[in-house]
Amino acid sequence: MTEQAAERAFARVLNVAELPPGTKKAIEVNGVSVLVCNSNDRLYAVSNICSHAHEKLECGRMSRGWIGCPVHGARFDLATGRAMNPPAKEPIATYPVRVVDDWIEVAAG
Amino acid sequence: MAVEAKELKGAQKATEKGALSQKGEARCPGAPSTQEIIAADKVAAPKWVRSESYEFLGDEDISTDRYIEPAFAKEEFDKLWTRTWQFACREENIPQIGDYQVYDVGPYSFIITRVGPKDIRAYFNACLHRGTKLRASGSEGCASEFQCSFHGWSWNIDGTSKNVVCEWDFPHVDRKKLSLPQAKVEVLGGFVFINMDPAAPSLAEYLGPQFKAHFDAWKLEERYVYLHVSKRLPCNWKLAIEAFLESYHVIHTHPQVAVSNADANTQYDVYGEHVNRFISPLGVLSPHLYGKHTEQDILDQFTLGDGGALGGSSKPTLSEGGSARQVMADMFRGMFEKATNTDLSAVSDSELLDCFSYTIFPNFFVFPGISLPMIYRFRPDPKDHRKCLYEVLFMRPVPLDGKRPDPVEPVHLRDDQSFKEAAGMDPGFGAILDQDTDNLFLQQEGLEASAKHGLTLGNYQEVRVRHFENAVEKYLAMDPKRPDIERLPPR
Repeated sequence: MTEQAAERAFARVLNVAELPPGTKKAIEVNGVSVLVCNSNDRLYAVSNICSHAHEKLECGRMSRGWIGCPVHGARFDLATGRAMNPPAKEPIATYPVRVVDDWIEVAAG
Repeated sequence: MAVEAKELKGAQKATEKGALSQKGEARCPGAPSTQEIIAADKVAAPKWVRSESYEFLGDEDISTDRYIEPAFAKEEFDKLWTRTWQFACREENIPQIGDYQVYDVGPYSFIITRVGPKDIRAYFNACLHRGTKLRASGSEGCASEFQCSFHGWSWNIDGTSKNVVCEWDFPHVDRKKLSLPQAKVEVLGGFVFINMDPAAPSLAEYLGPQFKAHFDAWKLEERYVYLHVSKRLPCNWKLAIEAFLESYHVIHTHPQVAVSNADANTQYDVYGEHVNRFISPLGVLSPHLYGKHTEQDILDQFTLGDGGALGGSSKPTLSEGGSARQVMADMFRGMFEKATNTDLSAVSDSELLDCFSYTIFPNFFVFPGISLPMIYRFRPDPKDHRKCLYEVLFMRPVPLDGKRPDPVEPVHLRDDQSFKEAAGMDPGFGAILDQDTDNLFLQQEGLEASAKHGLTLGNYQEVRVRHFENAVEKYLAMDPKRPDIERLPPR
């Protein structure tokens, strides 16, 4: 991918003021349901869908760099997408995220 | 030094005479008692520090089958763990309604969840349909319901049945009686304790009024956990606990610590059936080393549990005629206040410096001091009586601005890792834990190899080991009591 193409792949999703520390928001980016998270003093973008039973993660507990599925309790590392405990085994997708001019941008889809 | 040596000789004579006195009355000759050391401090210690509660509990050997027989471990799971109060999690781990953490001990598993601001429950972690765990062991999170991942039966946060999939097929199931069974729960000092026995005494009764008054004075609800490290140890859980019940081992296991630790003159106390403690003064020379070190050596060699709080500052030098203990107390007060943004002006020198080790039977240690602000928890491996899980949690006062930091993610060390490798652990203290735990496989294997089938204990310095084993024996003499839904609330 050229630098220009990579640049284009990022989509503006939220103003930084809309995502204070310890909060998360589900956003549709190019047809993909993405959960943008502000946890542990940094931003993450991960798939909003649990790899176990395909439930939405957006209402789950987020703490110390992980998100928990509210339905069966699987947890995922926000940085790597790794499943931290059963019943999930597969990771969830993670996406590049950055801040440009107070805007959070995500490259997904 | 000449004076000291003379005093020592005199004291030794006194002890020879003392050998004829009552069992358990002998103390380290030629050394001040823990109470005498603390009484000389500038900022006086509170009542809970300035008291003694030793009792001679016997001098028979302790049988070794309890450490080496798998059948003994099975009996413990049926009789002891099902009747005793256990620390399950900190309240701050489940701050919001629906937050939960899974607590396991042996084969038993509980979902510890918050149902209301003052309402915490411990549900037996198993679906009432075909038994699947509702949440995986080691997990935590926030739930609006507890749904089984197998057939989808679900329960509300308050434990009542929420959904039975295809209920038409279960006319024989009474939904009103389908609530999740619960263990008893009590919260003390921010610690959530559970007990599987519906007939168990209250936690206050279990601890006894004397110790409860100590615990209340510490206000541990105003602390938070800033480091949580766990590691599997290659020994029976009781051997691991007993490695931390005395300072008798310090001079040989931790020679680097003895320079600044009153080890042989540490104080030992017992409180009722479930609680015991030691007070091990720091900032003073071990009686084993009298005449071999200076006060400046004590300052140079002191190891701090919460070394990070001091921000790597260099250690001080002694002024003319000053004591290392006083210099350290004064220094720690200022540095801990600054590092943790707290007011410690009313805290005594002893609380700032000394190692206070308390245990609540069966497996909970609390060190309420400031320089060694720890919690230990030991749990048996349900599948191997020669293994256990050890956890150490370090606590600090909640900052003056009242903002409680988020709970930390536990660091799980591999069996072959050093405690020094845990991020956030003071390296000097990590080395001490390595020294403690590196003896344990030798002890486990030695007990299995030995032609002697009993442990021999010192009357005073090892009274906590005997007190702990007496409690083990008390529970093992009872009938098995496996949890039974028919006898558990809320039915």
